[in-house]
Parts: sequence; C-alpha cells; structure tokens
Amino acid sequence: MIPRHFQITIALVLLAILVSGIVIIRMTHREEALTQQAAEAAPAGPMLSGKQEHIQLLVAYDEDQALRWRPADVFLPADRNLRARETLRSVLAQYLQMPSPHPLAKGADIKDVYFISDDTMIVDTTAQFADGHPSGILLEELTLASLIETLTANVPGITRVKFLVDGKERETLAGHADLMSFYQTAAVHELAKEFE
Amino acid sequence: MRWSKTGAALAVLALVGLCCALGVSGAGPEQQLTVYTGKSSYSLPVVDRSGKQYISVADLLSPLGSSQPTTKGRDWRIILNKMDLRLTEGKDKAVINKQAVDLGGKVLLENGRFMVPMDAMLPVLGRLLNTTIDFHQPARRLFIGNPFTRFTPEYKNGDQPSLLLNFSQPVTQLDVNHDEHRGALFTRSNKTTLTFRKDPLVSDLKTQQFSDGAIQSLAFSEENGAAVITVTGNKHLQVIRSEDGKTITLQPQAAEALATPLPTQPNTPSTEVQKRAAEFFVMIDPSHGGYDKGATFGGKLVEKDITLRLAREVRKELEERGITARLLRESDIDLSLDRRAEITNEQRAGLYVGLHAGRSGKGVRVYAPVLTDTQQPLAGRFLPWDSAQSGALSRSQNLARAVSDELKKKGLPAANLSVPLRPLNNIIAPAIAVELAPEENDLQSLENQKLQNSVATAIALGIVQARSQIGARQ
Repeated sequence: MIPRHFQITIALVLLAILVSGIVIIRMTHREEALTQQAAEAAPAGPMLSGKQEHIQLLVAYDEDQALRWRPADVFLPADRNLRARETLRSVLAQYLQMPSPHPLAKGADIKDVYFISDDTMIVDTTAQFADGHPSGILLEELTLASLIETLTANVPGITRVKFLVDGKERETLAGHADLMSFYQTAAVHELAKEFE
Repeated sequence: MRWSKTGAALAVLALVGLCCALGVSGAGPEQQLTVYTGKSSYSLPVVDRSGKQYISVADLLSPLGSSQPTTKGRDWRIILNKMDLRLTEGKDKAVINKQAVDLGGKVLLENGRFMVPMDAMLPVLGRLLNTTIDFHQPARRLFIGNPFTRFTPEYKNGDQPSLLLNFSQPVTQLDVNHDEHRGALFTRSNKTTLTFRKDPLVSDLKTQQFSDGAIQSLAFSEENGAAVITVTGNKHLQVIRSEDGKTITLQPQAAEALATPLPTQPNTPSTEVQKRAAEFFVMIDPSHGGYDKGATFGGKLVEKDITLRLAREVRKELEERGITARLLRESDIDLSLDRRAEITNEQRAGLYVGLHAGRSGKGVRVYAPVLTDTQQPLAGRFLPWDSAQSGALSRSQNLARAVSDELKKKGLPAANLSVPLRPLNNIIAPAIAVELAPEENDLQSLENQKLQNSVATAIALGIVQARSQIGARQ
C-alpha cells in the first residue's frame, strides 16, 4: 500500500514534468518563429557579384514630412533587374533600421522586379510591405515617392513603374496611395520636389 | 349567487377587453423587412419571437438566386453565390463554408420554415454575397450593393406655390395619402404622405421648412420597410409624377381635380426641372468604413469614425451657406474606391471632397489629384477610368488652393500638395482630399470638436470661394 502523501507527491511531479514539457515546446516554436521572422525582415545583404557603389537614396522623414537625399554605399550587381532590386532594398533598409525615419513593418521587402519593356518596370513587394504599412495619405505617398525617385536616380531609362503586393495587384498601399496605376516617373519627380 | 353574477360580469368585461386588444393589435400593419438590390426589391414578413424579430431565411435568400434549400431533420442547407450556408434548429450559430457565424439567437423551425433573427442577416449576407450591405435596422430596410435613390426638394414660391421632388432614379411605386387636421383658432393642417415601398429611397434630409402657406414643410422618414416623405401645408396638395418617374410635383389642388388620383405629367420635364436636375451639390466622402478602419490612433479612435463626424460637420457648414451637400456614406459601411467614384459620377456631383485623418505631421493637408499615367481620352463620350479627372485637373487645383487658404486664415497649419490618390483620379468633377493630422502628437485632438468645426468651416468657405472661380457644373 503506497501512502497517500506519496501518491500526491508523484502526481504533482508528473504534472510538473508535463507542464514543463509543454512550456519548453512552445518556447522552442516561438523562438523558431522569431528567428524566421528576423531572417525575413533583415535588410538585404550585399550581392556576391557586382561592385560597391556610392549612390544617393531619397529617404522619407516622417517627423518633417519631407524627403531628403542621403548617400549610401551599396553593392549593386551589373544586371539591370538585380541592380533595380538592390537599389529599392537599400531604401527599405533605411526604414527597417532602428531608429527609423519612416518605420515600416518587419518583413517589408522587394520580392522581385521585372522589366516588361525597356522603360516599364513592375516591382513585386512582400505582403508585409503593404499589410504592415502605416495608413495615411502622406506616409504612403512618401514611401512610393522615395522608392521611385531612388530607382530612377540609380537605374537609368525607367519611365513607368507599377507595384504588386505578393505577386498580385492591390488597390492601395494601406488604404490611400494608388497601387493600380502605372506611375510615370516624371510625374513622381514633380511630386517628390514638393516634399524635398 | 351575487358573487357569481359579479364574476360573470367581470369575465365578460375581461373577454371584451381581450377581444378589443386583439382587434387593435390585429389592425396594426404587419411588420416587414424590405430588401433592395440593384435590380429589384422585395418584402418579407417579420415576426416577434421571445423579444427578437425573426424572418424566414429561405424567403430572404431565394430572390437573391440561392439554390433550393434542402432539409434533413433539424438541419437546413442552401447554396448562394457558391457559398454553403447551414443552419440547425435550436443552434445559435450558422455555418458558412465551415465557418461559424453568430446569429444572436436560436434558429427556429416553424411550419417547415427555418427562422433566424433578423439582425443576424447582416453578417450572414455580408459573407454570402461579398458586397456592401447597408441595414437600416429600425426601419427594417436592407440595401445590397448601394442601390440608393436620393432626392432633392425644390420649393417654388409665388401665387401658385409648388414643391418639386427630383429623384436620382425613377420611382416605380408610390402610395399617396392625404390627411386633414383641424386645429384651434380655425387653423387647418393638411398632410400629404408619399410612401415608397419598392424604391431604395434614402436621404440625408430629415426636415425642411419652406413657408407658412400651402406648402409649409417636408419631412423624410423610414419605417416598416418603406421610405416616407410627408409634406405639410394648409391646403390639399395634388401629387403629379412626371412620365419618366424622376420628378414628383406637389401643388395646391384645384377643387374640380380633388378626386383625380396621381396623374402623370405627359410632357417632358420642364425647364425648371431640368435646371433642378443639374443642381450643384458637393459630394463629401468620409473615407474608409466598415471593415476598412483606415488609420488607427490608439484605443478605439479610428480614421473611419473621425472622417464621418467631420463629413457631417462639413455638410452642416455648407448647407448653412446655401450649398447642397451629400455624404457618400451615412453609416459604417464598406465602399470600394471605385464605387465611391461611380456614385459621385453617376449623381453628377459638382465637387468632390474626400476626408481623411492621418497620424503623421500636424495641421491639415489638402491634396489635389495628379495623373500618374496620362492617357488619351477615348473617342465619343467615354473617358479612361484612370484619368477621368483630366478635364477637371486645374479646377481641382484651384479648389485645393482655396481650401488651404481658408484653413490658413483660420490659423491652422495647412499644406497644399498634389498626389496620385484614388478615387480622385476617377472622378470627372473637381476633386480634392483633405487630411487632418493631430495637434502636437496628441492623437486624441482629432476628436476635438473645436478643431473639427474650424476645419469644416474652412472647407465650406473654400468651396464657396472656389465655386465662383471654377464654375458650377452645367
């Protein structure tokens, strides 16, 4: 006959082991998820091929409601598509750092870019870029203007740009800025001047 | 014996009272829900069960193109719009494509008909139809896909006063009722009630005063699945509907014509009516709504609510200055950007003002549209959707300048910018957007009534200023 107090002790120990196991499994899963998110959110690293260039980025500053040119050293590949993508990523990297002049959500990135003609480019962004973008006319327009202006300044010959989100068309970036239309870079240049 | 006589008398009295009560309640109008779609409208009975209003779900969904319902014991199933809706008697949840939707009350089975709480149909229909549903709950009117008809009253004074009601769509069915009341000091009041049961008539106007004569006032209300316009005056009014159904004229009736019921006007609308149809009005768009909350400002403060409050203020300010204004949404409903532009263009608004609130910066930003991808206008009467604004671009810029000037005069920090913003580029009339930002990082300041009043007044003054410069739409 096992004494009652011993039975209770064994039961409590077993329960404690079970709870600890569950907690450890959940913590492991959470840690894996965070690691994956961090990997997805991390700014692009330098490309293996290409050269480091000193380029100008048009960066949005929310506090001043302004766009300002800032120099940056970025590895840019020779390939035009990759060059365009890395240029755009270097702008996003500015916004993903802490503290950020124009905070964007973790995971905001450029998935790919495609030239559908010599002068027309499609930019495919990650879902986090739009889903986590702060809502507001000014904030959204600043993001698009800074991306397009930086692109045209560093990748010559682009006159029209359209944005996709995770491979699909979307009406607006975060409820305001138009993502359905093709942006004429000349018109965006005029728009950007209003904020500079 | 005496007691039994008294008891019998009381019993008879109670019976009579009960019969009277039943008679009175039975004489009241049957409660009904009217459903308006873009193509048709239909009504279905509403019954009270345990303090809740219930409707037959098959009666509601069948006219919308659902499949024949299948019943298996206590389970019921219907397919609509490729969505699978399942109900179970006694359960308080529906299942749509395997997802539970709360009904707020148990499903009832009465005479082979599955009944659900009327209020639950808003979320259920929203999921089934994937379109905008607007439910005017107290009046039991359900609008699917913004099929609204609106009206504007025009009072014409003179020897023979008349009241013209101009409708954005032809009205198809109309019940007219005349009611005469004699008051003290030999005063007489005539009420002409126009009841619209089949037409999706809505209005921002609740009451309007005209004179103290034959046509004194107009009131708009919604009740029991219908819209009602009541015109009060001191004479019996004749109701004339134009042939195209878009105009109803009320005027004092000649004695010999008293018995003529609702004649139609055979001729085409008069020049007066045509002038009215081209009346200048401002379309105010409280941005976002429904599931689209817009920007969030902490707690329960969201852009969609701020814009609706501001829109009402702007309308009030405009109407005080004699300019008619309409709101694109009066309640918390979803409207796509395309639909906002469609409604504005269909109703031929003279000006469009989109209202927004953002957390960045401070003060007020006024945006004029800019076309990012200019396209050549197509031949004929059609315009490319993405550059429909092209003909009004310079007038939009003038309007934006006028509004920002008025904001500055009121001491509010204002910036005037041009951005490619939807739906501005899809609107044929001069169009601007106004974005209100919080004061000095105080997000709650967006709720400040004084700030909203100042901004609304400045917008109204800017519109008044710009209207003379840009000209009303012809």
